[in-house]
Amino acid sequence: MIISFIFQSLLNGILVGGVYSLMAMGLTLIFGVMKVVNFAHGSLIMLGMYVAYWSVALLHVDPYVSILIVFPVLFIIGASFQKFLINPIINAPEHNQLLLTLGVSLFMENLAVFLWSPDYRVMKTSYAEINFYIGDITISLARLLAFCFAMLLAAILYVVLTRTDLGKAIRAASEEPRGALLMGINIKRIYLISFGIGAACAGVGGAAITPFFPVYPYVGWLFVITCFVVVVLGGMGNILGAFVGGLIIGLADSVGAMLLPGSMKSIISFTIFILILLFKPTGLFGREHA
Amino acid sequence: MTNANKKREKKGISRREFIKTTATLGAAAAVGSIGFPNVLRGATPQDIVVGHIHPLSGFLGFDGQELKKGVMLAAKKINDAGGIKSLDGAKLKLIDADSEGKPALAIPAVERLHRAGAVAILGCYQSSVTLVASQIAEKLRVPFVVSVAVADKVTGRGFKYTFRTQPRAEQMASQTVNYIKKITEASGVTVKTIAYLHDNTAFGTSLSEHVVKYAPEYGMEVITRVAYSPRAADVSTEVGKIKAAGADVIMDTGYFGDGVRVLRMMREMRVKAKGIIGCGNGAFSHPKFVGELGSMTEYIMDGNYRANPVSPLTEKAFSQYKKTYGTEMGPSTVFAYQSMLVLADAIERAKSTDRDAICKALSETDMTQHILPQGPIIFGPDGQNKNAQAAMMQVLKGKVQVVWPKQYSEADFVFPHPS
Repeated sequence: MIISFIFQSLLNGILVGGVYSLMAMGLTLIFGVMKVVNFAHGSLIMLGMYVAYWSVALLHVDPYVSILIVFPVLFIIGASFQKFLINPIINAPEHNQLLLTLGVSLFMENLAVFLWSPDYRVMKTSYAEINFYIGDITISLARLLAFCFAMLLAAILYVVLTRTDLGKAIRAASEEPRGALLMGINIKRIYLISFGIGAACAGVGGAAITPFFPVYPYVGWLFVITCFVVVVLGGMGNILGAFVGGLIIGLADSVGAMLLPGSMKSIISFTIFILILLFKPTGLFGREHA
Repeated sequence: MTNANKKREKKGISRREFIKTTATLGAAAAVGSIGFPNVLRGATPQDIVVGHIHPLSGFLGFDGQELKKGVMLAAKKINDAGGIKSLDGAKLKLIDADSEGKPALAIPAVERLHRAGAVAILGCYQSSVTLVASQIAEKLRVPFVVSVAVADKVTGRGFKYTFRTQPRAEQMASQTVNYIKKITEASGVTVKTIAYLHDNTAFGTSLSEHVVKYAPEYGMEVITRVAYSPRAADVSTEVGKIKAAGADVIMDTGYFGDGVRVLRMMREMRVKAKGIIGCGNGAFSHPKFVGELGSMTEYIMDGNYRANPVSPLTEKAFSQYKKTYGTEMGPSTVFAYQSMLVLADAIERAKSTDRDAICKALSETDMTQHILPQGPIIFGPDGQNKNAQAAMMQVLKGKVQVVWPKQYSEADFVFPHPS
C-alpha cells in the first residue's frame, strides 16, 4: 500500500508537471522575446478551457480534437492582444506593462463571468472514466493524454525554435532585437507570432486538462502562480528551462503533499524557488548575463 | 404591494423605478456623507425598511443573487398577505447592499442600511463577512438575522442583536456523526474508523475538528485528517493519503469546485469505503453536482442543511419560487427565505418598528409553521436557533434525497455503498 502510494504520487506529479511545462513554456516565450511579464496568462488558460468546453458541448467534437480549434483561436487572440495592447507600450516601463496585462486579465475574467456566469462547468466525456490499473496504481487516461499532448506540443515548439528559420528569427529577436532588425528580421511580426504561440500554449494546456478539470472564470489563477515559479526556476525566457522546471515543480508538489500536512504541500516547491533565487538568480538553465 | 413593485418583480427594474431608486439612494448617500442625519429615508413612512447584505457581484455573485431572490420571495409573501397586520398592514421594503464577497465592504454596507432606517439587517452568506457585519450591527444596535453563515463564532460572541436560524458548525458536525451512527446501526454495518479530507480554510477545518471531537461519543474515531488548499490544482496525493488510510468511512468538506475534483480523483483511484459522506459539503448535496458529474455521484451522502421535504409549506414555497424565478430553490436560498419570515414574524409581534422592540420579539420567537426539518424555531440566549437540525442526504437515482432523520426522509438510504 505504501509503496504503491509513493509511486502513485510521483506518477501524478509528473503527469500534472507536464501540463505546467507547456503553460510555462508559453509564458517564458513571451517574456523571452518581448520582456513582458504576462499576468493575463491565467486568463488565456481559462479561455482555452472554455473554447474546448464549448467545442465539445455545442459542436460535439472529441475533446482532443478541440485542441485543433483551441490552438488557432488562442493564437489569434494572443496576436491581437499583442498588436493592439502590448505593442503600443512595448517600450514603456515594466510596471506599466504589468498593470496592463493584469488589467486585461481582470477584464477577460469578468467578461467570462458576464458571458458564461460564474458557474462551474464539467465537460461530459467518456475519457474521464477510463483508467488503467497496475496493481494498486491508477493511471487515468485523461491525465495521461493531457501529459502526452503537452509533451507533443512542447517538442514541436522546441523543434520549431531550434530548427526553422522562424525559430531562428524568434531567438534572434529575443537575444538581440536591434541586431535582428539590422539583419532584416521583421521584429514586429516576430513579436506578433511569439505572443500568438505563447497564448496558444496556454490555451492548449488548459484544453488538455478540461476533460478532468472543472471550468470557471477564475480557474486560471490555480495555474498562473505555478507558471511563474516554473519560469523563474528554469530561467526567465528559457524554453528548455520551463520544460524541465514544470516537471520539477509537479514532482515537488507531489512529494510535498506526501511528506507534509496538506496545506503545506507547496513548501517544497517554494523552497526550491527561493533557493534558486538566492544562489542562481538566473534560473537553472539561465545564462549568466541574461 | 404597490403596482410599481409588482411590475418590478416581473420585468426587472423599470426605467422610472431605476431613476427613482438611484436618485434616492444617491441623495441619501450624499446627504449622509456630509453629515445630515436621516433627512431622507429611501422609503415612504409607512413602509418598513429591511436591509440585506449579500455578495451580489464578484466571485460569489451567483450565490448572492440566489439568496436575494429568497429574501424577496419571503417579503413578497408577507406583503401579498396584507403586510404587517399589527402595524396597519405596513409593507416590507427591501434595500440591497452588495458585499462583493469582501468582509471590508460589510462595514460601510451596515452603516448605509442603518442610515437608510433599516429596522433590521439580513446577511451575509459567508462567515467572514457575517462576522464583521454583525459586529457593526451590534454596535449600532440594529437587529441582525443571519441568512447563511456556518461559523460557530457568529453567535458565540455574546451579542444581543444577532440571530441565526441555520445550524452552526458544531450542530452540523455532531448531528452528521450521530446520523452516521444511526444509519450504520440500522443497516447492521459496523463503522469504527473515519478518514477526513477537507479544505484548509476555516470552513473545512472547523467542521472536521468538531467531527474529531464528537466521533468517539458514537464509538468512531477519525484516524486521518488531510487538508488541501482549494487553490491547489492537483489533489491526487491528498486523495492517495485518504486511500492509504483504509478507513471504514470517508468524510469530506469543501466548496463546489474542489468537491468536483476530489470526487473525480476518488473514483479514478478506486478509493473504497463503506461510505463517502460529506459534512456541510458545498458540492455533495447540490443538484448541480449530480447534474455535472452524473453516475459517479450515486450513493454519495452529505450531512447538511436542508428544507423539510415532507412539509406542504416547503412544497408551496418551492413552487412559488419556481413560478417567480423559473429555477429551483437551492438549499442556501431556503435559509434566506426562512430568515426573512422569522424577522417578519418578530416585527408582527413587536407591533413596532423600534429596533429594540424587534430585537426583543426575535429573542421570544417560537415559530412552528416553517419549512425547516426541525421542531419550533426558538433562539437561545446566544441568538442561535436551539432546535436547528441538519439532515442526511443521499444521491439516489440521480437525485439528492433526504434519508435521515426518518420523519423528514424522502427515500430509504443505501448503506454500505455498493462498489
